[in-house]
Amino acid sequence: MRTSRRKPGVLPYMLLLPTALFVALFTAWPVLLSVYQSVFRQRMNIARFREPVFVGLGNYRDLFSDPYFHQIIANTVRYALGTVPLSILLGFLFALLVNRRIRAVGVFRLAFFHPMVLPMVSAATIWMFFFTPGYGLFNAALRALGYNGPENWTGNPSLALLAVIIVAIWKNSGYYMIFYLAGMQNLPADVYEAAALDGASEWQALWKITLPLLRRTTVFITTIAFIDAFRTIDHIFVLTSGGPSRASTVLLFELWLQRFEYQDIGISAAITVIFVAVLLAFTVTNFIVSERQET
Amino acid sequence: MRTFKVFLLVLTAFLLTGLLAACQPAATAPSAATQEASAPEEGATPMEASPQEAGAEAVTIQVYYPVAVDAPIADILKGYIEDFQKEYPAITVEPVFSGGYGDVQTAIQTTIDGGGEPPALAVMLATSLYDLINADYIIPLDEFINTASGGSGYLQDFLPAFLKNSYYNDQVWSIPFQRSAVVLYYNADMFREAGLQPPDSWQTWAKAAQALTKTEGDATNWGLQYPSGWPYWLFQPLAIGAGQNILKDDCTVTFDDPAVIDAVQFYIDLSAKYNAMPAGVQGVWATAPTDFASGSTAMIVHSSGSLRGILEQADFEVGVMPIPGKEAGTFASVPGGGNFYILKDTPPAQQEAAWKFIEFVTRPQYVADFSINTGYIATRASAYETDAMQAYTAKVPQALAARDALQYAGAELSTQNLGQVRNIFHDYLQRAYNGEMSASEAMAAAQSEAEAALADFCP
Repeated sequence: MRTSRRKPGVLPYMLLLPTALFVALFTAWPVLLSVYQSVFRQRMNIARFREPVFVGLGNYRDLFSDPYFHQIIANTVRYALGTVPLSILLGFLFALLVNRRIRAVGVFRLAFFHPMVLPMVSAATIWMFFFTPGYGLFNAALRALGYNGPENWTGNPSLALLAVIIVAIWKNSGYYMIFYLAGMQNLPADVYEAAALDGASEWQALWKITLPLLRRTTVFITTIAFIDAFRTIDHIFVLTSGGPSRASTVLLFELWLQRFEYQDIGISAAITVIFVAVLLAFTVTNFIVSERQET
Repeated sequence: MRTFKVFLLVLTAFLLTGLLAACQPAATAPSAATQEASAPEEGATPMEASPQEAGAEAVTIQVYYPVAVDAPIADILKGYIEDFQKEYPAITVEPVFSGGYGDVQTAIQTTIDGGGEPPALAVMLATSLYDLINADYIIPLDEFINTASGGSGYLQDFLPAFLKNSYYNDQVWSIPFQRSAVVLYYNADMFREAGLQPPDSWQTWAKAAQALTKTEGDATNWGLQYPSGWPYWLFQPLAIGAGQNILKDDCTVTFDDPAVIDAVQFYIDLSAKYNAMPAGVQGVWATAPTDFASGSTAMIVHSSGSLRGILEQADFEVGVMPIPGKEAGTFASVPGGGNFYILKDTPPAQQEAAWKFIEFVTRPQYVADFSINTGYIATRASAYETDAMQAYTAKVPQALAARDALQYAGAELSTQNLGQVRNIFHDYLQRAYNGEMSASEAMAAAQSEAEAALADFCP
């Protein structure tokens, strides 16, 4: 047995080769290239800086000494903290709701899930009309609830980021609901029956059984939610163009500006490297922590 | 099991980050791999079609064209290409339609930076001129223009305002095609009922907007909506109307000029002092034409490109005029939109074919047809003399009003390092609009930051 287990040798690697090649070509190579480009100054729209000049960590120094970049980091952190926990919580609550035997469960499931099916740009366009001061649906609903604060969501510097966070939560909660729902439907019924026989309340069942058993789902959802928070900017283009006065500019939006509007290859490569490092650190930590708890 | 998990971890981590890294395009120095890959393709396309007529070499060119406007641009352009190929059977024109102007430019940048061959012809923003020249993406067109039927008269037929962003170093780099202007739309019925004249100064404009602002319960029907979510373009007529445009040349901006500060203050006053439009930054570019056409807003400042949509929806008399200036009897406007550019690093045969196509679709009858079908302003004086255009403007006199606004136009903001300079201006203009800074503080800060951003470009 032992020898035959060792024998296959090349075959697994052959099977992995296409994937490995794909990953190397479309993932590892661009990342390495970005690391390389980030230590050069190169601007496509200045004739004399078109050829790359080695500047060491100059691009990183420039970025971290730029007060705008600090503001953008702060915006990105706020955006992630604003969207990730709340949309996961809502996704979980929606899943709890539609996992029950209630009337018209299909309608609820559809209602919660349909924002996910819409392309982000369409969703943002719909919300642009919702946010319209005066007759916008969102403002009308808030007014009915007694709100009489500012209604200019996309033009107000203290509301613009909140506006794009609201759209992201609306868009993503239903998506996370699907994962939780799938997880809940795979939970063994006998555990709940045993708990019920022992006299556990529904609340206890939720805390002591459902949540712990869904931990892996939660880890997975947290990871994709976190990455989504960094990756989704389509609605920012539609709703605020990163404004007013950069109030809703997040890291990826800034990357797009630097690369395609300012044509600054060095700085945009440096932002890419920062970006990849943050996400890699998060993903790996998340994975390791969850694996450790497992054992 | 453990190694498998590690493998999975590394694989997923790379895949996830790869999605992001894809945003960072490949190196400028073309890698050997991409060059090899694209080489056979380059050769293949022109060879495919065999020469049809004696003496005429078959050539295929691509045109990159933005279509993100409120008109069936793709169909219209395909029609012109069919007509063109009847006249030039040896030339095949392949249109490549993409989203907006930005998308076209991004596509071309990534193609060239990745070592590929760009299309011979593209429509990009007139204001992208300096960025395109600095990046060495485009060629001057003077030689072609001299060979054009009509020679230098060809260029003189274009409306002067549309050529303002075509010149650099005494050379011509682009030909106007899909062009618009900032205009003021006003509800002529409302003006008549209120006994008001179309405004001819800031004072009369503000008073009219104030008189036409009506509040009922929660809803306010504003006298004026003035979008400022991406503000420099619509703002420029205010500065020009105060006596100083926001730029002098590609290296000199005048954000802190007293006239420009005056213009910023007037925008603020329209809401703060006259209560005639919504306060702060108005992110209403998309909704303003609808609000105007439905009669809930008496006036909007917008692109002439919205005329067609507004006329289709409005059931009242739509007035179109240039933006009133500060002093009585003065007006202002600013042009916008896209021009034809011929790309460098394409074979001379393709460049010549591209020029033939430009010359063809800028013939008066096509310029007129394009204007009638899209609502863009016809770019050549002779186009207005064609029968089709005469019939159209008799029916839609507003199209002439949009053209006439251009006689008051200054140059659209176009500088070295445009993206960054524009973003700085937007930043501070919006701070002033939102009351975070005073108009003069904001413009002083914008000026010093913009000068720093221009320093590397303008030694």
